[in-house]
Amino acid sequence: MSALELRNVSKVYGEGANEVHALRGIDLSVESGALVAVMGPSGSGKSTLLTIAGSLEIPSGGDVLIDGVTVSAMSRNDRARLRRRSIGYVFQDFNLLAGLSALENVCLPMELDGISARKARVAGMEALEELGLADRASSFPDELSGGERQRVAIARAVVGDRHLLLADEPSGALDSANAESVIRLIRAACQRGVAGVVVTHDAQLASWADRVVFLRDGRVVDQTMPPAGPESLFAPEAKS
Amino acid sequence: MSLALEERPRELNTPGFGGGPARRAIFRWSWRLFRREWRQQILVLALMVLSVGATTVGVSLAYNAGLPLDPTMGTATGSMTLSGPDPIDVAAAQHAFGTVEEIDHQSIPIPGSLDAVDLRAQDPSGGYASSTLRLVAGRFPTGAGDIAMTGDAAASFNVHIGDPFVVNGVTRHVVGMVENPVNLSDEFALVAPGRINRPTQVTILFDASGKQLDTFRPRGSPTSIGTRSTLNKTAAAVVVLALETIGLLFVGLVAAAGFAVMAQRRLRALGMLGALGATDRQVRLAMVANGTVVGAVGAVTGAVLGLATWIALAPRFEHLVEHRVDRFHLQWWAIGGAMVLAVVTAVVAAWWPARSASRGSVVAALSGRPSPPKPAHRFAGAGGVLVAAGVGCLAFAHRNDNAPNAFLIVAGTIATTFGMLSLGPLFIRGLAAIGRRAPIALRLALRDLARYQARSAAALGAISLALAIAATVAVSAAAAAIPPAEANLANNQAILTLGSVGGSAPGNAAVATPGPTEADVQGLQPRVDALAASLHARAVIPLAAAVDSASPTATDVTATLGKVRTVAHGGRQGVEISNEMPLYVATPALLNFYGISPSEINANADVITGRRDLGGLVVIAPRGGVTRCKASQPRCRVNGVQPTPGSAARQGPDDWNPIIQTVKLPTYTSAPDTLLTKHALQEFGLESVAAGWFIQTRSPLTTAQISSARHTAAVAGLTVETRQKQASNAGLRDGATAVGLLVALGVLAMTVGLIRSETANELRTLAATGATSTTRRTITSATAGALALLGGVLGTGGAYLALVAWHRSDLHPLTRVPYLDLAVIIVGLPVFAIVGGWLLAGREPVSIAHQPLE
Repeated sequence: MSALELRNVSKVYGEGANEVHALRGIDLSVESGALVAVMGPSGSGKSTLLTIAGSLEIPSGGDVLIDGVTVSAMSRNDRARLRRRSIGYVFQDFNLLAGLSALENVCLPMELDGISARKARVAGMEALEELGLADRASSFPDELSGGERQRVAIARAVVGDRHLLLADEPSGALDSANAESVIRLIRAACQRGVAGVVVTHDAQLASWADRVVFLRDGRVVDQTMPPAGPESLFAPEAKS
Repeated sequence: MSLALEERPRELNTPGFGGGPARRAIFRWSWRLFRREWRQQILVLALMVLSVGATTVGVSLAYNAGLPLDPTMGTATGSMTLSGPDPIDVAAAQHAFGTVEEIDHQSIPIPGSLDAVDLRAQDPSGGYASSTLRLVAGRFPTGAGDIAMTGDAAASFNVHIGDPFVVNGVTRHVVGMVENPVNLSDEFALVAPGRINRPTQVTILFDASGKQLDTFRPRGSPTSIGTRSTLNKTAAAVVVLALETIGLLFVGLVAAAGFAVMAQRRLRALGMLGALGATDRQVRLAMVANGTVVGAVGAVTGAVLGLATWIALAPRFEHLVEHRVDRFHLQWWAIGGAMVLAVVTAVVAAWWPARSASRGSVVAALSGRPSPPKPAHRFAGAGGVLVAAGVGCLAFAHRNDNAPNAFLIVAGTIATTFGMLSLGPLFIRGLAAIGRRAPIALRLALRDLARYQARSAAALGAISLALAIAATVAVSAAAAAIPPAEANLANNQAILTLGSVGGSAPGNAAVATPGPTEADVQGLQPRVDALAASLHARAVIPLAAAVDSASPTATDVTATLGKVRTVAHGGRQGVEISNEMPLYVATPALLNFYGISPSEINANADVITGRRDLGGLVVIAPRGGVTRCKASQPRCRVNGVQPTPGSAARQGPDDWNPIIQTVKLPTYTSAPDTLLTKHALQEFGLESVAAGWFIQTRSPLTTAQISSARHTAAVAGLTVETRQKQASNAGLRDGATAVGLLVALGVLAMTVGLIRSETANELRTLAATGATSTTRRTITSATAGALALLGGVLGTGGAYLALVAWHRSDLHPLTRVPYLDLAVIIVGLPVFAIVGGWLLAGREPVSIAHQPLE
């Protein structure tokens, strides 16, 4: 069973003369542990694909299945619960909540789900330790560097029992060193069984994916398996 | 790094249930944001504090405006007034009611004045009326030679503690200063109980039930028996309730405007919460928690500051309401209720923008795009219905003479306010449409108001409400203003009357005394001239009154104008004269003073006047005994009937219906503004006699001048009448307008500041395209000016709608329009706002402290 499956998904914004077809008949399947990169020019529907895959928007047509469950049939609250428990997001501009420390940001999805603050802190600290941020746990977002913020965002996206990680230009606001570090972390998460979808303009980053999907005008125009790239350098390190 | 789902409590499988941990996490985040964004929060907080503080002060003022006790009876429930000492009735009252308290009265004439001071023999520790006495300085009188006075009485007699004072032939020493704390305008002198030799009036106070009073039969002849009037707490409660409602509406509107801006600022963060899996309810909670914090802090701080202000204002307030107030005798439930409701209001105000934030698309929220505004016509339709319902409630709340219906007043006020609020978006859209062809900066400002309808409508509502309150007070004060015709004299006028107290002054034609001869008048003239010179008089006009020489006993009683009515008193008929006013003779000197040519007066006019309300009044020349009409008095009427010439008529006032001609004369009740013509003198058989002098000065008379004139007049055997003190409500009117203006300007400054700071990015874009500081200034001043103009129009319109509904049975008072105050509200405020916006918007906008999303 695929962690994420899109069946003939389409999305239309506006009505009549203002109608815009953002997605047209998209079929996509992402298995657990796989990392899929989505590429395409601006306005091709990449971000729309990601928001629909993450249940933030409902498709105009077709079905989205997460762990085999159809999302469009769910209520708003059910979709919220699905996001809390199964889906993690990483955005280009981090989107950490100011006013909460790094650890509190990471714990927030679990606390929203009713897990006690103590248990959530334990899990959150584990996630931060794995990302090398244990010493910055009590720092607030405005005290962190861009790379650190994005790592906190990744920790927040994978903490708990999440098995679908969606990243929208996760390295867009970072320098190349931090960008590579971030994609390594996402790749590592996938190695542990998380299904990942990354939207990016950067071919270098896309080469870390198991599969690259090209979009144009809302349609999948090509899918390819990248040759062994920088990812191959990462695999033994991850295993160690 | 996985935390298994099975660790979650079983009940959490219910969708949307986050339980305590979720609430705690969201409250923590809200509290941290409150602390981080104190610069933005402090604005809303300040408005909350201001509103709650104003409500607290208003509630305290309204509650203490009512009398705590009866000013004459204290704690007694009944009183009996006797025209002199009557031991039989005192004993009867004691027998019937048990404990009684006796207070003796006598009057002390003020030299040179028509007024007198009440001399009171009262026990300061009496069982009932002790609460009507308070020692201010010195001590209470105890011995036969002791007397205490109120401040005003001491000033009238020019005595101080320790001075000797001759009271009706008895020399006493002033030992203390006292006051009636329940009636500060009560001017009296106090002596020990039983120390008045021949009291002219005796008051007996007692406690009695209605049944006891019904069965009580005094053996003597008391002039009146009364019970304590019910203290009208209902009216005070209505005012308190209405004030509280209006105050909270204001709080809600201001907070809603603030929270709408805060919600916009936090939109991306709220969107992120949604993306993390927060339910709609949890997203709302994030804003509502913030509202709760702001509401609680604002309510507590506002109440504390309000109480401090009330305590500071209390001394001035005491003089306004003319009774002492206990600073801590307040309606605590109302203040506590206002605080609780303020928190609730803040929560509701935060909930509304939170609701629209939680209902919108998560993706749009993450992009910081607000939900598109709802069509204005929907709000306008609801607004029209609400205004109609509110006006209807107010109209029905005040029916006949019954006590106003508090529920309908509150409902009407709320409905009208929300109705006007709902109409706001339509007006904002309208203004934006009008400005379609305006220059870019103006167009942008007006369009922004329409784009961010939620916050601009809330700000407009708050401004409208503040101005509606100011307009309501100004219009009500103007409606309640005493027209000139109801004042006795202008403040630069005085009338010197021949004769002493109780003499034959026109308008006081009660006691007949021998009048002065022509030689007496001539002898007085130099003294009058000296007095006039001391007052820097512009004119000194001799006055003449008309007397009936046919009257055998009261030849000096002058003719007056008034309404005669036969009334029944306990099976006996009597005559009541009302609306009485003095009639002077239209002498050439007086006509010349007023610039009236004798040719302007109709040949058959009996009375010329500047007043227009004399319909139905008749000329009265009271006679002491049986009268006859003479043949020379063809229009003579006795009790409205023309008797057969020469026949005896019934005892009573003669009433002659005069022919009245209106001319241009000033209208005051005591001024010579209603004059008998020569024709009337002949027609009614009256004679002209010297009555006094009318003095007009260049500037208003000072207290010192009046005091000096009284002294001089007393020496000369004259009395002086000057303008009686009247509480002017012009100060209240102007004060309310000024306060409304300041509050509205404050709300404007804060809301426009918030709105413009939120559009700082757009301003930067404008700057990047080459816009100068002039554009920035124009946008800010146009935003402020537009909100101020709409607020003024809506506020004044709403106030008039409500007042028309309230006064619907008699709209005449509303014809007195406070033009200046309304012009200040409708024109002045927008001008202030435009100028203020222009001056304050010169600086390059600094980015707002921290975004809630990093």
